[in-house]
Amino acid sequence: MIRMLDHTADVGFEIRASSVEALFDVARLALLMTVFEEPPEEGKDEDSVRLSAPDLETLLVRWINELVFLIQGDRFVPVRADARIQETDEGSFSLEARLAGAPLEFDVYGWQGEIKSATFHGLDVTKEGEDWRAQVILDV
Amino acid sequence: MNIEHIFGFKYRIPKEGKMRVDATFYASESILEDLKSEDYASLQQICNVATLPGVVEPALTMPDIHWGYGFPIGGVAAFDPEEEGVVSPGGVGFDINCGVRLLVAELSREEVDPYEGRMVQDPRKNRLADALYESVPSGVGKGRKDVGFGRKDLQGVLVDGAGALVERGYGEPEDLENIESNGRLPGADPEEVSDRAYERGVSQLGTLGSGNHFLEVQYIDEIYDEEATRAYGLSLGQVTVLIHSGSRGLGHQVCQDYVERCMEVAQKYDIELEDRQLAAAPIKSHEGGAYLKAMYAAANFAFANRQLITHFTRQAFASAGFRSKEHPLRVLYDLAHNNAKFEEHDGHEVLVHRKGATRAFGPGNKELPERYRPVGQPVLVPGDMGRYSFVLAGTEGAMSETFGSSAHGAGRKMGRRRAKKAAKGRNLRRELEDKGILIRAASKATIDEEMSEAYKDATEVVEATNGAGIGKKVARLRPLIVVKG
Repeated sequence: MIRMLDHTADVGFEIRASSVEALFDVARLALLMTVFEEPPEEGKDEDSVRLSAPDLETLLVRWINELVFLIQGDRFVPVRADARIQETDEGSFSLEARLAGAPLEFDVYGWQGEIKSATFHGLDVTKEGEDWRAQVILDV
Repeated sequence: MNIEHIFGFKYRIPKEGKMRVDATFYASESILEDLKSEDYASLQQICNVATLPGVVEPALTMPDIHWGYGFPIGGVAAFDPEEEGVVSPGGVGFDINCGVRLLVAELSREEVDPYEGRMVQDPRKNRLADALYESVPSGVGKGRKDVGFGRKDLQGVLVDGAGALVERGYGEPEDLENIESNGRLPGADPEEVSDRAYERGVSQLGTLGSGNHFLEVQYIDEIYDEEATRAYGLSLGQVTVLIHSGSRGLGHQVCQDYVERCMEVAQKYDIELEDRQLAAAPIKSHEGGAYLKAMYAAANFAFANRQLITHFTRQAFASAGFRSKEHPLRVLYDLAHNNAKFEEHDGHEVLVHRKGATRAFGPGNKELPERYRPVGQPVLVPGDMGRYSFVLAGTEGAMSETFGSSAHGAGRKMGRRRAKKAAKGRNLRRELEDKGILIRAASKATIDEEMSEAYKDATEVVEATNGAGIGKKVARLRPLIVVKG
């Protein structure tokens, strides 16, 4: 589930999913919905991401920022992500993801403007019952 | 929240709880109503800033205060390095050294807009609008192909700022004296800038960016202060160009990198964070020092960015047939509204963070170009694309009350989704054209999101600033052409 938040100065979304990996993939989709009017759904290009962070919230910020870089820097739009998130013995988290993507086409996908960064403001990643929930605000 | 009205536009929030100092804010009654309607969320942010170590009284907000990340936008706070004062990347912002530059043309409105906006198809005005849109790439991914900066060149830019571009022939030496800090913050260290920041910034030098960044051709439609107008070399009807841009992806990445780094060391330095985005490190610490060096580097990128945009703006005017007798476009002033600088106030050297706030040094300050010294520094306050922008002058009041700071703009009051909904069924391009304003933008979505109604009225902010004595009205600028990403 994705609910776009109407933030006064910036953009944000609230998302839910049945697992933490699914949550991070929904974050990917929410990011695409923020950046494009009609994001691509298919792509043949490939890339991969490896990240770690002391907690899930920081991991989510780093994940979104990595995807922002792929889109805005490498012009690679991640249409699919197969992510694995693990908690280490020290209590930190690692993420490895294989991505399928499409080349960035501003006019075709309806570019809506660049993202400066995902922020820590209002950031929240929590397990509610069986589901996972997160909220993120992006500086545009 | 305990708010005391001091007098006029000045209010105080006395320190309480974990606040180390009072907070002071400037607002009109209408601005105060806006603050109340958001449950004083922005004022709570400046109260959070007032909890940071080494903060010098007072923590401040300008009349254009609105909610931000860590610091509010419009926030000003000084920290004393001798009192374990801190530096906070959130107190500078993601767009390090974002700022505005005002160029002044030897042209009158009649020469650029002979039909006074009544003829939308005016060929000369449209030619200029097209030339500017072509010359200055606005959105992301649209890096310049005509100017190549490799990593080594970029390192030079990060150290020397606008001067590095002038040396390469992109501008005139006299441009530099009319840029805050001569277009260069000393102490930059490119080694403290991450590889990712370089990757994000290398193709973006000379680009506007998107969101609320813009390039706008205007004319002076009202004069408020004859003395300052004379000192600045302005006249009624004169054409100006206002450029709003910053450090692009390089600066965004530097902020991102160091917010996280400061969060990691907060516990090490016993810094209790009321808000993670307030992450900070002692100025004298290794991490604090590293951020300052990286921030100066990003700041110099922003100065250089506006310098390169100036060069191509001048070219655009020339290619559109507006050739000046002596100089195409003079830099009136270039100032930043997101940085942290060491300055002397009340005999102490302090690190002044300005986030969405402008330096506004008053008359007599030796940092100013000689011809501006009698009247104070030009202060530039951009409005939204359908309404006015303003030139103000720095004042003694700003020097004594706000660490030499003033307002920087108007700020949004409507979210982007709501703005797009409000724009449905409307042709905002036509509405602007009916006001005599041509717009060039990457998409309809950009125009819709940036509609005038999405922004507070800069006039209100300027009246409060002027009324509070922290910026003196000098001239009003009316848009003719707007270029956006």
